[in-house]
Amino acid sequence: MHRILLADDDVELADMLVDYLSQEGFEVDTAHDGQTALQKALAHHYELIILDVMMPELNGFDVLRQLRTQSQVPVLMLTARGEDVDSIVGLEIGADDYLAKPCNPRVLVAHMRAILRRSEPVTTNASAATDTLTIGDIELQRGARRLLLNHQAITMTSTEYCVLEVLLEEAGRVVSKQDLSARALGRELNLYDRSLDMHVSNLRKKLGPLADGEERIKTIRGVGYQYSYQNNFAKSEA
Amino acid sequence: MKSLFWKIFVSFWLALILFASLTLLATSHYLESIRHEESRAQPRNNTLQYIRQANLLAQEGEIKKLRNWLMQLDKREAIPYLLLDKKGQDLLNRSVPLYLQQRARRMEYKFLDDEHDDDNEHRSRRSHHLPIIINGQRYRLLPDFRSITLHRVLNRPRAFVMPILLATLISAIICLLLARYLTAPIARLRQATQKLAKGDLTQRVLPSMGKRKDEIVELANDFDYMAEQLQTLIESHKQLLRDASHELRSPLARLQVALGLARQRGGDSTTKELDRIEREAERLNDLIGQLLTLARFETNTKKIEYNTVDLTALLEQVVDDAMFEARATSREVKIIQSMPVIIKGNNVLLNSAFENVVRNAIRYTAEGTTVEISLKDDHETSGWIVIKVRDYGPGIPEKMLETIFEPFVRVGEARDRQSGGYGLGLAIAKRAVSLHGGKMLAANEEDGLSIFIYLPMNELPEESQGVSLRA
Repeated sequence: MHRILLADDDVELADMLVDYLSQEGFEVDTAHDGQTALQKALAHHYELIILDVMMPELNGFDVLRQLRTQSQVPVLMLTARGEDVDSIVGLEIGADDYLAKPCNPRVLVAHMRAILRRSEPVTTNASAATDTLTIGDIELQRGARRLLLNHQAITMTSTEYCVLEVLLEEAGRVVSKQDLSARALGRELNLYDRSLDMHVSNLRKKLGPLADGEERIKTIRGVGYQYSYQNNFAKSEA
Repeated sequence: MKSLFWKIFVSFWLALILFASLTLLATSHYLESIRHEESRAQPRNNTLQYIRQANLLAQEGEIKKLRNWLMQLDKREAIPYLLLDKKGQDLLNRSVPLYLQQRARRMEYKFLDDEHDDDNEHRSRRSHHLPIIINGQRYRLLPDFRSITLHRVLNRPRAFVMPILLATLISAIICLLLARYLTAPIARLRQATQKLAKGDLTQRVLPSMGKRKDEIVELANDFDYMAEQLQTLIESHKQLLRDASHELRSPLARLQVALGLARQRGGDSTTKELDRIEREAERLNDLIGQLLTLARFETNTKKIEYNTVDLTALLEQVVDDAMFEARATSREVKIIQSMPVIIKGNNVLLNSAFENVVRNAIRYTAEGTTVEISLKDDHETSGWIVIKVRDYGPGIPEKMLETIFEPFVRVGEARDRQSGGYGLGLAIAKRAVSLHGGKMLAANEEDGLSIFIYLPMNELPEESQGVSLRA
């Protein structure tokens, strides 16, 4: 059972979604305004929070902004259809994914599962805890899902972590957007979907350029992304 | 003096009075000065000069030349100059008034007297009495002041042209100022009306009218009132559309979850119907999304941020995305011509514009064909670029080429519904393009349709600040 929080001011809709999601194997808690949502999100441990943008008092963006100062819990934003900018804003603040509302509940569940999959810690074998990937000034500790930049821990959402992990594994090679979406987001690349671009842009902001000023994650126009890998960097997997 | 009627009446009246009095004044002054000269019995400078000229000609000894010169002089001068011999006959045989005959005779006597006078000073003072001697004959040049007629004066414009010119000039300036004063606000009104018709409902004219208080200002006031009413009306109309679309989303969201619940509870017997409901719900969803996009482009224009946009990359990205959609229905999208273009614009708006046009083309192009996109300089207007999106579909009727960009205009009911069009895509695109000061055109090809997007480079038009009526 995945424990999740659903924040939406439409009480009727929330009730029906609770029914639907319970059938799909989720344990759903609800909040009908931003303030309650924020309190509940900070007080309990949820595996995922579904956050509607349009809520009275504290809107979804404000909730997310305050939440992100204390927690990196996965967040799926429900943005208003026809407001494309909202999705970009949401991802920029640190949402893991977004869906335009109204949406098909099947699609919602698919997105939720994808997010939950990538936030699960790797527990496949005992050595996972010490499995680290070091490229240049970056150290990825897979077991702990932690990232060190010059030995300083960088906070990031699990989605950002997944995107970076794939790019680092393929450092020096170009990863196509389709490939990156499948491996990092756990779903097919949608048409006119800007979420990958936004996650990469967030990563760039958090990590900054390489020591020599070069762009850390390059955009290869029309193909995908590439993590800059230079020969003088020692790539080691222990 | 505040009403336009009185302004026109009084200023025309004053201009006419001024013109007439100036003319009268000039004429009477001219006549007065002539009379004055005559009464002083002092020759005008001109007369002395003419006598000198005549003397020079006389020295050549040809009477014919003298006659020609006299004829020329008569044509020029308003005052008739007569050249009299000692019998009082004019050289040109004009009739000679009695008083001049007498004067000529008097001068002749005096001359004869003076022959014996050696006082040079005396002689030079009366040099205008000197005769012009040719072939031994003595002539005298005398101005005939009394024979000046209006006819003669009018035939010789030199005399009166200056005052008339002055009067003309002054009255022209007055009339020019008046005409400007009257037409400038009308031109301003006209400009505002044109802008209003083009969709800029923020146009107001009263602030540009200054302190006037006349019929035109009343008209301007009414215009502003009308524009305001129109703006309120259009905006409430748009607001209604926007609000309605927003409100439609809540029941639609519930409908979709209810549908999901119905599916969970199972029962194969209703699957077909549930599929149908789901499909229709998706269509409704798309339509609401488009409506809201359009409404947002039209109402929040002031919030739009403009940055530098790599148009080439943006177009490539849109085409990349569209490729998935096209290949799913065995069609292709291809950029056949491109160039580096960076403009000042809004990424989201431009993306939306290209996306809608390209997807529209994919929808209509025939199966197995390729939608061709080109980006190049506009040869007709420098500083503009043009993006052409050409499909190999059925094209559209000529009379629809312009209306195709308006919301909810469909070319063919059945086919559009089948292909999922709602007639909003091109309206959204056009609005996005016009916010960048650009324009869109459609043209039929032999075997398809071309949509042209024209965009100015590097400058933002003032139109982008206004709220527009047209999509």
